[in-house]
Amino acid sequence: MPDDMAKSTQNKIVVSGFRHVFETDDGPVQATDRVDLSIRAGEFVTLVGPSGCGKTTLLKALAGFIRPTEGSILCDGATVLGPGRDRGVVFQELAILPWRTVRRNIGHGLEIARVPRAAREATVGRLIELTGLAGFEERYPHELSGGMRQRVAVARTWAADPDVILMDEPFAAVDAMTRLTLQEELVRLCGATGKTVFFITHSVDEAVFLADRVLVMTRRPGRIKAAIDVPGRAAGRDWESFKIDSAMQAIVEQVLRLVREERGATAPAASAAVTK
Amino acid sequence: MRVTAAAEPRGGLASPATSSARVLRSLRAFPILLPFAALIAVWWAIHATGDFSPQVLVSPLAVWSAFLHLVIHGVMAEYASTSLRMIGFAALLSLAVGVPVGFAVGVNGYAARALEGFLRFLQGISGIAWLPLAIVWFGFTHTTTLVIVIYTLIVPIIFNTMTGVRAIPEEYGLALRSLGASRLRLVKDVYLPGALPSIVVGLRLGMGYGWRALIAAEMLVRKGGLGDLIFGARTFGQIDRIITGMIVIGCLYVVVDRLIVQPIENLTVARWGVLRQ
Repeated sequence: MPDDMAKSTQNKIVVSGFRHVFETDDGPVQATDRVDLSIRAGEFVTLVGPSGCGKTTLLKALAGFIRPTEGSILCDGATVLGPGRDRGVVFQELAILPWRTVRRNIGHGLEIARVPRAAREATVGRLIELTGLAGFEERYPHELSGGMRQRVAVARTWAADPDVILMDEPFAAVDAMTRLTLQEELVRLCGATGKTVFFITHSVDEAVFLADRVLVMTRRPGRIKAAIDVPGRAAGRDWESFKIDSAMQAIVEQVLRLVREERGATAPAASAAVTK
Repeated sequence: MRVTAAAEPRGGLASPATSSARVLRSLRAFPILLPFAALIAVWWAIHATGDFSPQVLVSPLAVWSAFLHLVIHGVMAEYASTSLRMIGFAALLSLAVGVPVGFAVGVNGYAARALEGFLRFLQGISGIAWLPLAIVWFGFTHTTTLVIVIYTLIVPIIFNTMTGVRAIPEEYGLALRSLGASRLRLVKDVYLPGALPSIVVGLRLGMGYGWRALIAAEMLVRKGGLGDLIFGARTFGQIDRIITGMIVIGCLYVVVDRLIVQPIENLTVARWGVLRQ
């Protein structure tokens, strides 16, 4: 993607030639192959691709949980060496702690950063309002619905105020109706806070609805196959108008085609010929 | 223990408060007592119908008077406190050593895989099987008893701490690290509370195994404790003392388990309902 070079000054994240090989009992597996991508500050980028194509590997590398076998990952121009407070992560599996109440889960990052209690409570209170969790502050996660638990996970990450938020299929485990609500809440939350977001999903609809830009990954070993810009501000979107917006639906069709090609591809070589 | 409303005597009519009526009422109120009552009844019946020498079987009443005798003369307190002190000390020491070891092994996948089979192997060799060696090495001393009991207690504690740590979802730790948590933080906020229910289960199992091993060791070592009490009584053919000692052994275990270990378990497991799944 040579056009990204011109905007490199405002790039938040730059990944170049990222290749990752992990060891399994059956020998080494190459998860990703020379991934190049950059994400501008304040941009909402979604990534879709077939199962096992290395999406999560890429996210884990951005988070600093794993190191690239080859290539580099820069955040604000500095190489990512490990996890940090500047890059928050929201997982699909409920990563909020079952032995902490909603309030204490959301405030956990601030507690770790030794933010004084008063300031902490103020931030937590604001996020509880923003995520619609008012009245559930003293509940434990097992007393909440799946959608509410995922709101707690999102609020916890936002409360710590990272510049970059990495989300790994955060809404995959909640029911379809709740998912639509959570997606609309997320675009509003992002509009209000201006975070840089990298969001992995299986759902093409979700990818287009949330994004400023959708990235499509090839099957394993994964590479970025195409990048599609989604016009307009994500913050203003809602599902009713999205569904009848023909320009948006054309993008959904385009992304769907690109993903389908990967699912149907019989050899990695077949995907190499496909360009944006 | 739950007292059901149905067990209350119907109405406030002044029924004759005979002792047998009272026993019947409490049996309906506390079903837990029923098997005990049945056991005592069968025992009483066998003793009454047969012609037993007191060297072979005595009546429940004789056991009761032997119990009173041992309590009044302070003998029971002496022997029981030796056993209780021993199990208490062994439990504390096993926790102090077993939990950190279980943690160290649990966070290291390779070490956990390497040790799992070994710990199962050790669980197969009961503490009692170590008695011959322990007696050779440490003689007929409290050290021998303590070594046997700690060995018995510590294996399930290490094992359950290890499995508890390994059962904590990886995401808990990863999410906290991306919130800037240090290693110490992870232990304090994730691993310790996450593994606690499993540690308590290990302690509870260990206390059960350890109590049995303790009695067995005391029977051989003969330096006090309830095992010593019942084995010593055998020498003099004091059947009443033997049975008294056995009943006390069972009762003390139930008391320790119900009053100390189970409440801790309920506290951790009930609070964090999710972990129960």
